[in-house]
Amino acid sequence: MADLVDSMLDLMRRLPPTRTEENVASLIGICPDYADDLLGSVDQPLQLKTDRATGKEYLACDYNRDGESYRSPWSNEYDPPLEDGTVPTPKLRKLEIAANDAFDTYREMYYEGGVSSVYLWDLDDGGFAGVVLLKKTMAPSASSEPSGSWDSIHVFETAERGRQAHYKLTSTVMLQLTMKKKDNEADGKEGWKRDGEVTLGGSMTRQTEQDWPIHDSSSHITNTGKMIEEMEIKMRNLLQEVYFGKTRDIIYDLRSLDDLEKTRRQRELQKELVGFIKR
Amino acid sequence: MESHERIQAACDFLLQSPPGEINDVLNDVRNIISDDELLQEGIVPALKRYNLAQFITVDVPETNHQSIISEAARLSTGSEDEESQERWLDPRSKKSFVFDHIALEASDPQPFEPNEDFETFRVALEKASLNYLLAHFHDGVSSAFSNQTTPNQFILQVVANKYNPTNFWSGRWRSEYIVDLNDHTIKGTILVNVHYYEQGNVQLSTTHSISIALPPAIVTASPESAGTKILALIETEEGKYQNSLNDTYHEMSEKTFKSLRRALPMTRSKLDWEKVLGYKLGAELSSSKGAFTSGFS
Repeated sequence: MADLVDSMLDLMRRLPPTRTEENVASLIGICPDYADDLLGSVDQPLQLKTDRATGKEYLACDYNRDGESYRSPWSNEYDPPLEDGTVPTPKLRKLEIAANDAFDTYREMYYEGGVSSVYLWDLDDGGFAGVVLLKKTMAPSASSEPSGSWDSIHVFETAERGRQAHYKLTSTVMLQLTMKKKDNEADGKEGWKRDGEVTLGGSMTRQTEQDWPIHDSSSHITNTGKMIEEMEIKMRNLLQEVYFGKTRDIIYDLRSLDDLEKTRRQRELQKELVGFIKR
Repeated sequence: MESHERIQAACDFLLQSPPGEINDVLNDVRNIISDDELLQEGIVPALKRYNLAQFITVDVPETNHQSIISEAARLSTGSEDEESQERWLDPRSKKSFVFDHIALEASDPQPFEPNEDFETFRVALEKASLNYLLAHFHDGVSSAFSNQTTPNQFILQVVANKYNPTNFWSGRWRSEYIVDLNDHTIKGTILVNVHYYEQGNVQLSTTHSISIALPPAIVTASPESAGTKILALIETEEGKYQNSLNDTYHEMSEKTFKSLRRALPMTRSKLDWEKVLGYKLGAELSSSKGAFTSGFS
């Protein structure tokens, strides 16, 4: 019943992004048979975990999960420990280690903080796939300042074709911004009290497919690195446009700051004047 | 999951519907629950709760205007008789009607006798609010009620909706003001919801509550002049609020968004991935920031 999954995804596209986790849990409760489909296709905020072996933070999502345990990209260990948890083949693990180092540098250059994690897995057809995760949260420095979080999830698949590789990239960025405001006016107007909160949040997803040359296996890191960097630059612009442009325009479509009656009257006056001059 | 839990989950989903998308959510929920009989019985209370909270508007029979379905519009019948149907009030046309919470349609209009003691003031508020709607809302509906249980208390509600499914967005502005001539206050709430869902799901949700003391000049004025002055206060407050939202947008964009992720690294150029590769992050990083960008290669 493919269209049951479609209905679940359509529902998740409409319900408030701030409540994604509880809504996914509740859908799984209704249709337990579809848990894997749902967890695999609905992006949820990344969880921050600490690697017990290295003390380094890493990100948990459906791609490094095995049962109830999550694998750390730094030590390759599962937490809680698993005897026979899925791990990449030694060759792919080597690439995964290098990719984690490379994207950790990328993270520092663009995010100046936050946490990154890269997970790779072998595909049945001989190729491999991976996910690059980036997360940064900001607590407000004062109660009057906004707080926020950015979560990037870049899933890619690659297939080698001779000296070329074909890449399919699906990128989701979840951006959440919140601001609380409280003010008891002290400018002489007695008894004015205001209290409020603004939450602006959600996710956007984009896809791209590209071919890049390969020299050795490390080419996959430079190639996906360039693609993900380009994609994040594009998506950052898109988020800026939608979050701070589009949603604001819609508020103005609901309510006008200017007096619409005055504008209407002015327009009529202008029409009259034009008619008068033409006469 | 037990059937009552499934219904509870379905109701929770419905109550979270973005503006103008309740039917889309209901369609999804129908497919997911796939038990229409169970749904039909269980979800009407949730739909009703949603309609009341969201200030759903209805064409009032025998008039050319719409009125707001809300707690304030619910007529207290005073009778315990379960057979008697619940009725809703449009104070403007002085009519009550039966409301279908699924079809969102009104029927069986009947004349309503308002309490004459408060009607002059209520009409003044209503008149001023209609002028206010024309001045600031592209597609707004307002209703002014006399509180059915508290004398000298009036409830003014405004709602404006824009649904644009072809361009994947919708928006709703709701405000409610309780004008209390007993303790000389106006208590108000403004709620804005925006949904943008083209290849994504972005939602804006704002709450704002205010409490204003009514100036003595308004309390002692004639109802007509008091109505105009109260709406002038509301106009100022809502304008201020809309401006403050602009400030919030600016701060979120300039402070938080920019510090979450830079548009480009400090060096103003993209990374040189050949150089990044193989480099171990460590103590050297802080001293050689920028060494990985193509601008420096």
